[in-house]
Amino acid sequence: MDKVIVTFELAGRDVDVMVSPMTTLQSVLRNQLGHTAVKDGCRQGGCGSCTVLVDGEPMMSCLLPVEDVAGRSVITLEGITPTDGLHPIQQAFLDANGYQCGYCTPGMIVVAKALLDHNPSPSRDEVVDALSGNVCRCTGYLPIIEAIESAVRAAGQQEARA
Amino acid sequence: MTVTSYFLPDSVPEALGLLETHGSSLLVMAGGTVAMPLINEGISLPGVVMGLRRAGLDRIERVGAELRIGATVTLTRLLDQDTVPMLRQAAGRTASWSIRNMGTVGGNLFTPPPGGDVAVALLALDARVTLTGPRGDRTVPLSEFWTGFMTSDLRPDELLTSITVPIEPGATTFVKFGRKHANTPAVVTVAVHLAVQGGTVTGARIALGAAGPHPMRAPGAEAAITGSALEPEAVGEAAAAAARECQAFTDGVASEWYRRRMVGVFVLRALTELAQPAGPAIGGGA
Repeated sequence: MDKVIVTFELAGRDVDVMVSPMTTLQSVLRNQLGHTAVKDGCRQGGCGSCTVLVDGEPMMSCLLPVEDVAGRSVITLEGITPTDGLHPIQQAFLDANGYQCGYCTPGMIVVAKALLDHNPSPSRDEVVDALSGNVCRCTGYLPIIEAIESAVRAAGQQEARA
Repeated sequence: MTVTSYFLPDSVPEALGLLETHGSSLLVMAGGTVAMPLINEGISLPGVVMGLRRAGLDRIERVGAELRIGATVTLTRLLDQDTVPMLRQAAGRTASWSIRNMGTVGGNLFTPPPGGDVAVALLALDARVTLTGPRGDRTVPLSEFWTGFMTSDLRPDELLTSITVPIEPGATTFVKFGRKHANTPAVVTVAVHLAVQGGTVTGARIALGAAGPHPMRAPGAEAAITGSALEPEAVGEAAAAAARECQAFTDGVASEWYRRRMVGVFVLRALTELAQPAGPAIGGGA
């Protein structure tokens, strides 16, 4: 079977991958590019653990043939994490214990990042709605929702000081 | 993975050419939210697949008294429009943010029940679909589009390219009942459009989802409230008719017995919501 070469932007840097036709973006990111925060969860679009941002919008990378993101910008949790330290949303998850086993955490943080990029001061209902595609079987969601609300408050205080 | 070729045509003519070359062995995919899970699981093993993300079918525009929606307009984009409020409601109750960013309006028409909530709204809105083939376009009312479970009037050499929704005055409501508040398959979905004159229902379209092999109208229920002022007796009769005439089924979400009862309950609630003390209200737009 003929392989295809696909070029897309990953965290601001162009990457080329050679794949069998219709290899999922999830598999490419995790298995070829070492972005292991992108989990291989349900492969059904049902759990959200493979969520990435495509041109800033959250999508399930397990449902995307990598050819579909040719020329587009992809950001994973690795792309959100600063070189030093943690992103404020990551810090908020840490402070609020917004995780237990950690399997869903990358997807949760990626969605939270997209939410705050779209809407810097979401209501609790908007936070809950944004997370409705991401399954967590440990926390019962409350610490995750509280982590995101605390990241919103921290960003507000940052804004007020600036 | 058995796929030997994945095509991403840049235009409708190119897509039609691929359909002609590969015939029914070509799996046509839009947002991938239905096809990819089956492929990932090995349930569907297509050899050749065509993705429509770049085929130029992603425009949504108002043309006169109609809203024309390209087949690959995403469900998220229905949330950004105010022209047809019921479509915003339906999209908002469908799946999750990430899935709405991928799933398309055209693809929703090919989503097996209990999925396909937007399709139920489109049926109540009397939408038409444009099917484009080698000999040009033909238009089919959505009420005649489906022929059975996962089957439709679409011919093997045709592509569903757009959905046209009339923008007409009337009272509308969209109710979805699932096991969870959000991101949940339907036990039943009910979409209603009523034309009302002087407090009397002069025309009714009641569409049911997850209550048969494809979204379907409830003609007995429609007849029961047409000519009424949505009095409780007429509403009750319509709900009973819908429960009788639906083709409820059993799956992992609900049993046939439960679904049939919930069809009655939610048709009753939808119509009751539309009934005001002074008769049905005329909503703004479709």
